[in-house]
Amino acid sequence: MSIWTQVLYAAISVTVATVYGLTLGGIVRKIYARVHGRFGPPVWQPFLDIIQTSSRRVSVSHGNMFLLGPVFRLAGGLGTYLFIPVIFGSALFGNFSMAGDLLLVMYFVFFGQLGMALGAGQGGHPYSPLGIARGLAQMSAFEVPFTLAVIAVAIQYNSLNITSIVAAQQGSFLNWTLFTNPLAVIAAMISMLGMNMHSPFSIVLAPQEIPIGPPIEMNSGFLSILQTNRGLFAAAKLVLFMNLFFGGATNLLEMIAKTFFIYMFSVFVGAAYPRFRPEQSFRFFLKWPTVVGVLSIIYIAYLGGVS
Amino acid sequence: MISTLILGIALLIIGFYAMLTRKNLIKIVIGFSIADTGTHIIIVSLGYLRGKTAPIIDGAVSMVNAVSEVVDPVPSALVLTAIVIGLAVTAVMLSFIVEMYKKNKSLSIDDYQELKW
Amino acid sequence: MVSPIYILVLSLAAGFMLSIFDKGGRRLSLTAFYGVLTFNLAVMVDWLYRLAFLHAPTLVINTAGFKAPISINLELGITEAFVLLLTNLTGLLAAVYLFKKFKESRVSSLILYLLLIMGVNGLVMTQDLFNMFVFLEILSISTFALTVLTKNSKTLSAGFKYMIAGGVASTFFLLGVVFVYYFTGSLNLGFLRAGQFTDAGMIALFMLAVSVFIELKPFPANGWALDVYQSVDSGIVSVIAVVNSAAIGFVFYKIMPLLPGNFLTVFGIAGVITFFFSNMMGLKQDNAKRLLGYSSIGQMGLLLASLVFTANSPANIRYLIIGGLFINHLISKAGLFWLAGIVKEEKIKDWTILRNNKPLLVLFGLFIFALSGLPPFAGFWAKWEFVKVLVDAKMFFVLVSVLVGSLFELIFLFRWFTNTVKEANSELEPMDPPGKGKAFSAISFGLLAVITSFGIMRFFYEFNWIQVLPILAVLVITLIDSLPSKVKGFLSLAALAGYGYYIYPLLESNLQLFFGVIFIVGSAVNLISTLNRKEQSKGFYGFLLMMIFSFGNLLIASTYLEFFLSWEFMTISSFLLILRGQKAQRASLMYMIFSTAGAYLIMAGFSFAPALTSSSALILAIENVNLPLISIIALAIGFMIKSGSLGVHIWLPEAHAEAESDVSSFISAILLKAGVFGLLMVAISYISHSPNFDVFYWIGWIGVLTALVGAFMASFQEDAKRLLAYSSMSQVGYVVAALALITHLGWVTSLYLAFNHMMFKSALFIAIAGIYYRTHTRTMYKMGGLISRMPWTFMTVLMSIIAVSGVPPLSGFGGKWLTYTAFITKGWYLQAGVLFFASGISFLYLYRLIHTIFLGQLKYEHQNIKEAPAWFIIPQYIFLGGIMAISMFPNLIIEPLNSIAMRYFSSSIQINGLTVISDLGYWNGNLVMYVTMAVFAVPFILLMLVKGRTQRVKQFNIVYAAERPESPQTTHVAHNMYAHYRKALGRLTLPRIQTFWNGVAEWAHTFGGFFRRVYTGNGQTYVLHIIMYIVVIYIVMGVR
Repeated sequence: MSIWTQVLYAAISVTVATVYGLTLGGIVRKIYARVHGRFGPPVWQPFLDIIQTSSRRVSVSHGNMFLLGPVFRLAGGLGTYLFIPVIFGSALFGNFSMAGDLLLVMYFVFFGQLGMALGAGQGGHPYSPLGIARGLAQMSAFEVPFTLAVIAVAIQYNSLNITSIVAAQQGSFLNWTLFTNPLAVIAAMISMLGMNMHSPFSIVLAPQEIPIGPPIEMNSGFLSILQTNRGLFAAAKLVLFMNLFFGGATNLLEMIAKTFFIYMFSVFVGAAYPRFRPEQSFRFFLKWPTVVGVLSIIYIAYLGGVS
Repeated sequence: MISTLILGIALLIIGFYAMLTRKNLIKIVIGFSIADTGTHIIIVSLGYLRGKTAPIIDGAVSMVNAVSEVVDPVPSALVLTAIVIGLAVTAVMLSFIVEMYKKNKSLSIDDYQELKW
Repeated sequence: MVSPIYILVLSLAAGFMLSIFDKGGRRLSLTAFYGVLTFNLAVMVDWLYRLAFLHAPTLVINTAGFKAPISINLELGITEAFVLLLTNLTGLLAAVYLFKKFKESRVSSLILYLLLIMGVNGLVMTQDLFNMFVFLEILSISTFALTVLTKNSKTLSAGFKYMIAGGVASTFFLLGVVFVYYFTGSLNLGFLRAGQFTDAGMIALFMLAVSVFIELKPFPANGWALDVYQSVDSGIVSVIAVVNSAAIGFVFYKIMPLLPGNFLTVFGIAGVITFFFSNMMGLKQDNAKRLLGYSSIGQMGLLLASLVFTANSPANIRYLIIGGLFINHLISKAGLFWLAGIVKEEKIKDWTILRNNKPLLVLFGLFIFALSGLPPFAGFWAKWEFVKVLVDAKMFFVLVSVLVGSLFELIFLFRWFTNTVKEANSELEPMDPPGKGKAFSAISFGLLAVITSFGIMRFFYEFNWIQVLPILAVLVITLIDSLPSKVKGFLSLAALAGYGYYIYPLLESNLQLFFGVIFIVGSAVNLISTLNRKEQSKGFYGFLLMMIFSFGNLLIASTYLEFFLSWEFMTISSFLLILRGQKAQRASLMYMIFSTAGAYLIMAGFSFAPALTSSSALILAIENVNLPLISIIALAIGFMIKSGSLGVHIWLPEAHAEAESDVSSFISAILLKAGVFGLLMVAISYISHSPNFDVFYWIGWIGVLTALVGAFMASFQEDAKRLLAYSSMSQVGYVVAALALITHLGWVTSLYLAFNHMMFKSALFIAIAGIYYRTHTRTMYKMGGLISRMPWTFMTVLMSIIAVSGVPPLSGFGGKWLTYTAFITKGWYLQAGVLFFASGISFLYLYRLIHTIFLGQLKYEHQNIKEAPAWFIIPQYIFLGGIMAISMFPNLIIEPLNSIAMRYFSSSIQINGLTVISDLGYWNGNLVMYVTMAVFAVPFILLMLVKGRTQRVKQFNIVYAAERPESPQTTHVAHNMYAHYRKALGRLTLPRIQTFWNGVAEWAHTFGGFFRRVYTGNGQTYVLHIIMYIVVIYIVMGVR
């Protein structure tokens, strides 16, 4: 496969994922609105937002790092997505997964977050670093159960190669990690709540009150990039979870169906639960989900697991 | 010999007892002197052999069987030296006490505890 | 060829004549006085030369025309000549030191001094016990009288206590002598045999031995000696502490062959107890001379112990141990007492005035180092051999007491030293210039210390010059120290290049080469940043070169001793470099204490190790060495102290933070790797000779927890350098943990991380150095927004923190990928989880570092500062270049590391083109880089297209709290940035380990304070101590 074909495939794959991710975002807003007792915006509202923000006449910049922040962010989303094989066996949606395994994906997630944090930092608004400090701390906490789950998966399949992990789950839905290693999935799903920053872990962005959080100074074109990324990045994370825990997908429809339901989990929790204060949320992750994660490793590695 | 040995040891103990219990500097030195004397008596008693004469070769002791007729001369020689040395030490001690009294107007050893720990 | 009997004759004659000479003027009597002392010395030099080099037989001098045992005879063998040479030399120099005093005092002082010296000579040479008593009394009486050379109530009372104690001891000695005669009929040592002493005879021996022992001041029957040390004139004290002690110690040595084994053991243990307790009590002491007294007593105890416990060692080793300890004590103690007389300050904290006189300060340091048993001074070699003897004889109680006691001694000595050099003292009063005689004596002993060190290294151990190079570097740089700093910097760089060129062919393996790159090349690049020094930086480059050469010498060391020597040189030089920091007093002291504790463990560990069978470098030879478990544990802890592992890390943040900013980068980036190198050495032996207990499993856990705790601690720092220090601790924790895996992949990981850490941490520390140079602060919240002022430095920090964090595409990710793959492959799952947590925490401190310094709001006072000087920027970008190279082409480093680790394990990775494939996964760093570039380019181009409409706004163009803020201080979120995390962790953030060590320190001091209460100051109590001590020893020895 020539490099240009690959780039073309990647472009298609990215576009699909972005569109899907943004649509999901619209659906979520709709759901939240209904829970709040409103009708809510249309499902395509995220697209409108992007068009709207990117066609502003003037944008305001606080410096070069500020300028690069959103670039880092989107690059992070793109990269994360591109290092994941989206659909099992599909060349079109295989992306650049030959560059590295699961660890690469897990660490590339940070690329965008770090860059964004830097850009937001130069914005000079006190709320940006405040949100970042909370976000980083929360991230360090929810990564713990997630990592433990990933380690359990790696032990289970004796591989960190996402494609092999998916391959091992083929055949019957009973082969999914969800059923073969449920503890790991529980730990990972709880940490996904933190990752997605819905309630009860939404203090980082603190939506709906006074505006707070890293994007506070972001405007017009910068914001549009961030919004685009939000869709793409959400899709990337969902695909990753699907691959690791829910048997992956052999076609686009399966992918959409599975990721939708995975996402709905955090949406439902988010709509139903009140918000934690920062220290509550760190403590939460470092307690029960971590214990579950450790148990999953013990189950798989020492008690024989599914084998 | 035994009696002098016991006497020497008794003096030694009395001397040490004095050094440990008397507060007056001069009495301590006297204690030291008593102990010293005790030591000297012990030395002499060790060299003494019953029924023998002084180790001086003169009319009473013939040159030929001197070895069997006299007491051991070495302890006697030693004790002379020891007495001289004891005297010197006592003298230095007393001269210290004179100076100490000049400086501090006290002869109690309890008043010389400035240096400690 | 003059018979040494003339020493006695001439001293005595001169003693009588002096008062007559004095009538002809003091000049005449002084000439005669110094003439006799010089004569004594000359005779001994002559005889030592004859005995040692011309192999003359032991000289026997019979007196009164008869042979022994009829008459008294003297003997002068090589041992006697050696001791007398040194004591006469000290006697002469002490007299020179006292020149002014002797010029003014009464002539009797001169006479007494001559008698004292005569007593010493006689005591050492005589073979007759009663004669010994006579000389002992001559010595004692003249010493008593000389204690009041300076007459005041203190010296008088001390002298009096001394006399009554001495009187009691000599009474027992006399009794012992007489009883010996009574039971054996002989007084001549040449004719006495141990077998002659049957049941009752033991009492005679006991009294003889115990009284000599009391004269040597065993704990606790030694209060009188302390008072003398504290109060009496320095010149006389130096004689009492060194010359008298040596002579009486020699008496003990002479009667030793008569004593039965159980006596000796008890005396040896009593010596060790004395050493231990006097050093412990020294901890609480703040009077300089009394402190030296504690140290003297301790040293005599050690000397006695070494006399007893080396009895079965080969003669040359025994000479080295006893002679080394003796000469070390002699030089450093006399030297320090003399300095005490020059400084004339009683309290240790007032010694800061010594800073006014640089040469004397250097001398002070030299004596302190020597006394602490650091190389190259004699005490170091003695201690090394002594520890070996103790280990071979399985005397672990003695071993531990000696080492702990030595550590106590080092603590108070270095507290004194660091206090003198660094204590903040606003009113630095000028110091009286030292008299010529005083300075001459002290300097002579400084030279003597150097000469003996050289002699031991050259003639006893026959070291190659390269082992001495670190010292030579200091000397050479000292000679050219008046040159401008920059010139010295370039010369150092050249020297380093030369050293690298020399050492390169000596590196036999890739492993050595790899560490060579870290140690030498890494140092060379770091050295560029020091070229920015404007002031003359006296001494700096000498110690820097010493440190770097020591690193290099670690690589090629081929024996345990060579390795340990270089290790100690490294410790000393790094200590001195850290001490240069402005407020580094506490930090450097803590560093020294921990390093020395580590060094003692290493020393013990090496002593437990079996002999080497190969002549190649230690790191290679160790493969075939079967280290016993205790050796592995001791060595591992020792090396982990240096690499700042959890529990023993508390020196690390202090040292990094308080060292000068261009020194910190060396400590973090390179020094910590020396600990890793050592640990690796232990692990190499462990591979093929693993004991039952899986040591490295626990080391692995320690490493993992170090990584986690270090990361947390770093997140809570306000000081940039402390943050980086804790970060180093954390990162080296990863290195140690990966090393502990003892697998191929584990070692590739460990070395990869070490190399990466060297580059990014150097870059970061140098960047902070540049910032400090411009802003004069390390407190991060006092900065902010510097990105606009220092963009180049920002770039370095940005790249470096990406490399630290492990975010692709930079080299850090390779480390993370290797780490997790290695841990999961090994089956250390929970450890991997903890490491992941630590890696998450690292984002917190990294963001804090870059945000609070470079982002947010610029402070008004920093509006006009400039970019850091080029000397800081150049090395940063060299390191960045390195980071970029191995990020882009990871094979540049993975392949060599693969081959290094393959020496010990079969390879666990395949390298397929640019992809590294492990059992679990794969990673193509090159492709990651391209993809990242591409995905970065897309939005970037997108942004460029819309950039035309972008307006750049000024600072504070934001709305915050319903207004436009104006003050950067209240707008910059920086102080206590992770307060919420602290709150979440609650009590977990308490500095427990710090508290623990503080507790240890406090307990040691409290014990010291408790025990020293036995010294009530009452002369009677001291007599009681002596008598009780004799009784206790009597009972312990079980004499009947």
